[in-house]
Parts: sequence; C-alpha cells; structure tokens
Amino acid sequence: MAGHSDRPTALGWQTRVGRLACALVVVALTSGAVALAQQTASLEQRPGAALEPAALARVALETQAGMVWTLRLSLLVLLGAFLVMRVDLTSRVDWRAARGYALVLAGAALALLAAAGHAAAVEPETALAIAVDIVHLLGAALWAGGLPALALLLAAASRETGADARPYAVVATRRFSRTAVLLVAALALSGAVMTLSQVGSIPALIGTRYGRLLLLKLALVVAIVALAALNRRLLPALSGDAVAVGRPAMRRLRLFVGVEAALALTVLVVVAVMGVTPPARHEQPVWPLDFRLAWATVADSPQAPFVLVGSQVAVLGVVALIASRLLFRARRPAVLAGGGVLVLAGLAMALPPLVTDAYPTTYRRPAVPYHAGSIAAGAHAYRDHCAACHGPSGAGNGPAGAALDPPPSDLRAHHAALHTAGDLFWWITHGRRQMPAFRGRLDAEQRWDLVNFIRALSAVDAARVLTPVVQPERPLVVAPDFVFAVGPTPPRALKDFRGRRSVLVVLYTLPNSRPRLTALAAAYETLAPLGVEIVAVPFDGGPDAIKRLGAEPRILFPVVTDGAAEIVATYGMFARGPHAEFLVDRQGYLRTIDTGGVDAATLAANAEALNRERVVATPPAEHVH
Amino acid sequence: MRVWRVVVLLTLALAVGVGWGYVWWGRQVTRLTGELAEARAAAAGPRDYRAEGVVRAVLPEMNIVVITHAEITGYMPAMTMGFRATSPKIYETVDVGDAVRFTLRGTPPNLALVALEKITTR
Repeated sequence: MAGHSDRPTALGWQTRVGRLACALVVVALTSGAVALAQQTASLEQRPGAALEPAALARVALETQAGMVWTLRLSLLVLLGAFLVMRVDLTSRVDWRAARGYALVLAGAALALLAAAGHAAAVEPETALAIAVDIVHLLGAALWAGGLPALALLLAAASRETGADARPYAVVATRRFSRTAVLLVAALALSGAVMTLSQVGSIPALIGTRYGRLLLLKLALVVAIVALAALNRRLLPALSGDAVAVGRPAMRRLRLFVGVEAALALTVLVVVAVMGVTPPARHEQPVWPLDFRLAWATVADSPQAPFVLVGSQVAVLGVVALIASRLLFRARRPAVLAGGGVLVLAGLAMALPPLVTDAYPTTYRRPAVPYHAGSIAAGAHAYRDHCAACHGPSGAGNGPAGAALDPPPSDLRAHHAALHTAGDLFWWITHGRRQMPAFRGRLDAEQRWDLVNFIRALSAVDAARVLTPVVQPERPLVVAPDFVFAVGPTPPRALKDFRGRRSVLVVLYTLPNSRPRLTALAAAYETLAPLGVEIVAVPFDGGPDAIKRLGAEPRILFPVVTDGAAEIVATYGMFARGPHAEFLVDRQGYLRTIDTGGVDAATLAANAEALNRERVVATPPAEHVH
Repeated sequence: MRVWRVVVLLTLALAVGVGWGYVWWGRQVTRLTGELAEARAAAAGPRDYRAEGVVRAVLPEMNIVVITHAEITGYMPAMTMGFRATSPKIYETVDVGDAVRFTLRGTPPNLALVALEKITTR
C-alpha cells in the first residue's frame, strides 16, 4: 500500500516486513497442520490418529473442511516460496507484480478460511454467509495486518537516522488512513450481518459465552476506532515540507498506531476463541439481569400511550443529534444538548413501564417440545401437585388456595402469553411468593411438561375466539404436535404435514359419530385434492379402532390406532362436545374448532381459504413466547 | 527473468492445474453416473416388493384391496392405496382393520398383489 521507494530506510522496512511475513506464513503452515491433525484425532475419536498418514489423508481429502485446509495450506506453501525468493525489485513493474501476487495468494488463502468456519454451516443461503465472511476476513486482515507494519515504518522514520523515509511514511499513513475508513465500514456492515445470523437476539448476545466474547471484541474495536479518529486529527500536522516534518508528531503517531496494533492483535485472540465457541444461536442463553423490557407488559394497560409518546420523543432526540452533526458544520451546542435531553427524557418516559421481572431461564428454549405427549404428562403432574391451589381448570380457585393472599394465579387468562416459557419454568423450579419450589419433587422434564400444560391452558383460553369457519390471515393458536400410527405402519407426526397439507383432526366416539364419519368419508374425495388430510382419533382409542369402524362406509383417511390417548388428552381440552373437529393449517396453527356441524361445502370453503393465504406466520417451532 | 514474467507463468500454471483438475473431476462424475445408471437398469425387471400395512377396504367387484401401508422399499413411500389382486382367493381371509404383510410382484408401475397374510397387532 505504501508503494515503491528507493530510500534506504524504506527499503530496510520493506525487507523487515517481508521477513516477518515469511515467519508468519511458517506459523500459519505449522498451526494449520496442527489444526488438521487435531481435527483428524477428533473425527476418528482417538488421539493416535493425528499422526497416522492414512487417517490424515482421509480427513484432508474426503471432508469439506479437510479439502479447504489442504487447498489453503498449498496456497500458503506457494506464498512462502514466493516470499523467500530473492528477486531484484528495482523496477516498478516487478515491484508491483511481486507485491500484488503475494497479496492475491494471501487473500485467496484467507478467503478459504471462510469456507471452513461457522459461516459454512449457515443454512439456508450458505453462499451469502460465506461471501460476507470473506469480506469480513479480508477487511480485518488488511486492517489488523496493516497496523503493525505501519507502526514499524513510523518507528523507523521517527528515528534520527530515518529522516529520509519520513515523506514516504507520511504518504503511507495517509493512504492507510483513507483505506481504513472504508475497511471499518465494510467490517461493521459484514459484522452486523454475521451477528444477525450467528447470534440473532439480545438474550443470545448478553446471555451466552459467544455473545459476551462478541461484546468484548466490539469494545476493543471501538477503542481502536476512537484512537484512529484521534490519529486522523494528527495527520494535518504531518503535512507540509516532507523532510521538515516534526519528529514529535511522528513519535506520537507511532505510539498510537502501536497501541492500535496491539489492540488489534488482542481482537484476533478473542476472534480465535470465538472460532472454537459454539455460536450463540445454538446455545441456551442465561439471562444475567433481573429485569427485561417487554411490550406485552403494557400492551393492554393505560400506560401504553406513555411508552409510545416517550419512544417518539427519544426518536426526535436522536434525529436532532444526527442533524447537529450533519447539517451544521459549525458546532451548535444548544442543538446537541437539546437532542441529548430529548433522548434521555424520552427513554425515561418509555422504558420504566416496559420493565418486567426476568430470571436466568427467561429466554431458555423449552427442553421438551410443545407436544401432546408432554402436555398429557403435564396435565397428570398438574392434577397431583398444582390443582389443590390453582384449581382443577387452572382458574386459581383450588380449595387449598382459598386462604392465600394474594390468591393463586389464574393460569388461563393469557398467562403464558405474558410470560416466557422460561419464566414459568423458573417459578415452578424455585417457587414464587407462597408457591413452593418443585425442584426436589419433579425432575426437569416433568417441570417442562407442566410448562407445556400451562401453555396449553392459555392456548385453550385464546382458542375461544375460533369458530367453525376459517378467519383468513389470523393464525393465533399453535396446534400442539402429536405422533400417531395406523396399524403396523411407522409413526407419523402432525409436524410432518407442515408446509405440505392442512390437517383436519377429528375426535370421534362411536356410535354417535358414525353419520358424521360417513359424511367425512364422502367429503374426503373433495378435501384430499384441496390439500386437506383427515386424521380420525377415537376418544376410546385402541388397536382395533379400524376394525370397530367396520367395512361400511369405506373410510380411507388415517384412523389412529396408536397414540390416541395423548391426542385425546390434549385436544380434548379444546373440544366443545363429544365429537370435535380441528383444522390445522400448513404452518401448524389451529384455525377452526367445530363439533361436526358444518357441511361438506363449508369444509371445502375452509380448505380453499387456507390455500388462498400467503404464509402469514413463522412455523411455531421458532415461535417461543 | 523479470519478476512479473514469473508471476504470469505461475498464474498460468495454477489456472491450467485447476482447470485440468476440474475437467478430470467432471469426467469422473460422468463415468460414475453412467455406471450407476447401468447398475440400476440391470436391477430392474420383475421382482417382489414386501411391506406391512392395514387393510382399509376390500372391493371384490374390482378385485382391489385398499391398504394403508408403510414405505415399500424401492417403490413408493407410505400411503393409502388400492392394489389389484391376482386372484380373489388372496383376500378371502382378511377383513377391514386387519394388520397384514403383503407381497407385490412385477415391474413398476405394473405390480399385482400376490400374497396377503395377517399379522398379530402389537
């Protein structure tokens, strides 16, 4: 970047940097080989494999990461050989060719790193993730790699004997400074994209090891950028007659750049640790604060307008701050101060009502999925341990709870919507007010079953608005997943239909439901082509369910012979009669509840209404309250 | 030799090497695909397919038994469908709701039900 020069000090510096680069290539080669050996040992699951040529060859040539490493190491060997070559670089063309080629080789070797890192595991859009990672790697390499070299040059130039290289050093610093602005912008942009895909949420950022390492890295980078901003102020002091450039200014610059380089190396250490830490997205976040901000806290309360007004005031303040920087070249302290006051006042108005209690498990994803089996088990545990106080239906009216003040919580009314699954898990585990801790009495799985049962209670309450007719674009209630089998065929899950067909779950009793089943058997011929599968679940299920339906009418949709008990226990909570029908859409949301009263035309209209819908909600797997 | 000439030569060598490797790899893939297709063709022809299922309907007038079955390896995934029987005798002994193990014979898609035996349910 510094360009060609014939000054002795500059030439000496170039040789030094060249030698350093050679040494670094050797380090990279050695560490790369060690990493490959270590990977081999961990893939073969025995330490001895790290030294076996056959095992090494297998990993290097047959795994994607191994191929990438092999390519990368061979590029590095080429680069090393190229750097070691003693060549005459007095002509400008030769100099450009040599440096340019070294840059291309090093860049290619570095870019390959992206194909073996966390970015290569991102799905979908792997190519985009790798491209962003390459931008980030190259940007970081040019920036963090340029800093030590620049520090060396400034050190050489600020010595008494190095005065001949000072103009050269000033030019180099200018060019680096200009490039660095672009590099930092590229790094910030690509870093933000990668953070979205590898971290994805605030709990993951402050609640996991990876997230905290990222925060540490960001703090270091902010320090470097702040120093760099100071340096840019120094640059004008270096202009003017080249040889007369002051040594003090150059000394100070050297010191700052040296500190920046040291910080940049620390960032690299943090990055290395992050490289071997599982990305935050795959970890269970542990929330470190005892509060969080949630819109649900005020959504229906009279404080909601304050929050809205406060947030608008804060936004106005931010706009004022930006305007004071951009619009007025001359500083306007009044605008600046006014903006700051507005931001603070707005936040003071908007944030306090949003504060709600939080616990270390608040953002934990449930360890047991929202599944009929879990809900049925939770219902059982609820009867044994909770119903005495919270009441048999969760209304908070149990006999043992009558004397308590405050009374036991009503678990039905949107309870799970206001609190995360992790909150409920924490209360069941550690107790709350007069409620005892259940850590000793129920194991973790049973406690998650209870959480799922409470979520189902809340869902039953929310499902009261559902009618026998599909209300377009309004998926509100997640349908609990279940597993069923028909005869000796392997079990299938409700989730298997997701993205492909909607499912009409029919809970029936014999003989009362027989006319309805006959009607459904006839309607199936119309419904199946419309993308609706019917799954019939006998209330009093058993292995002979199909036999008991008899040969007439011919029922060809799945009739559950295995798994009916759990489905009945869960969907029975939503049922409004001894015969119940539930339409589950392709995203896994419950869309209609019926007692079997609607005719075939309405069923077909419901199916068509679902077919007309765009995908309006993410599938419930990602949908954790 | 001038350095820039070395650079150009090295780059050319790299490009030729990568290009040759790519072509070699492409040929390898074509050869393997061909072999796979030949092997598949050799494996085709009349054969037996066995699977388990449950009888959902018997249609004697069309000589068809409708079965909800597990995956039929090499032929079709799990589903409910009707199979033409080679003779009415095959389904004389089964009723709707019976769990069965059945055998299809022929070359897809022309398969016929040649055997049907009850299995005890779990």
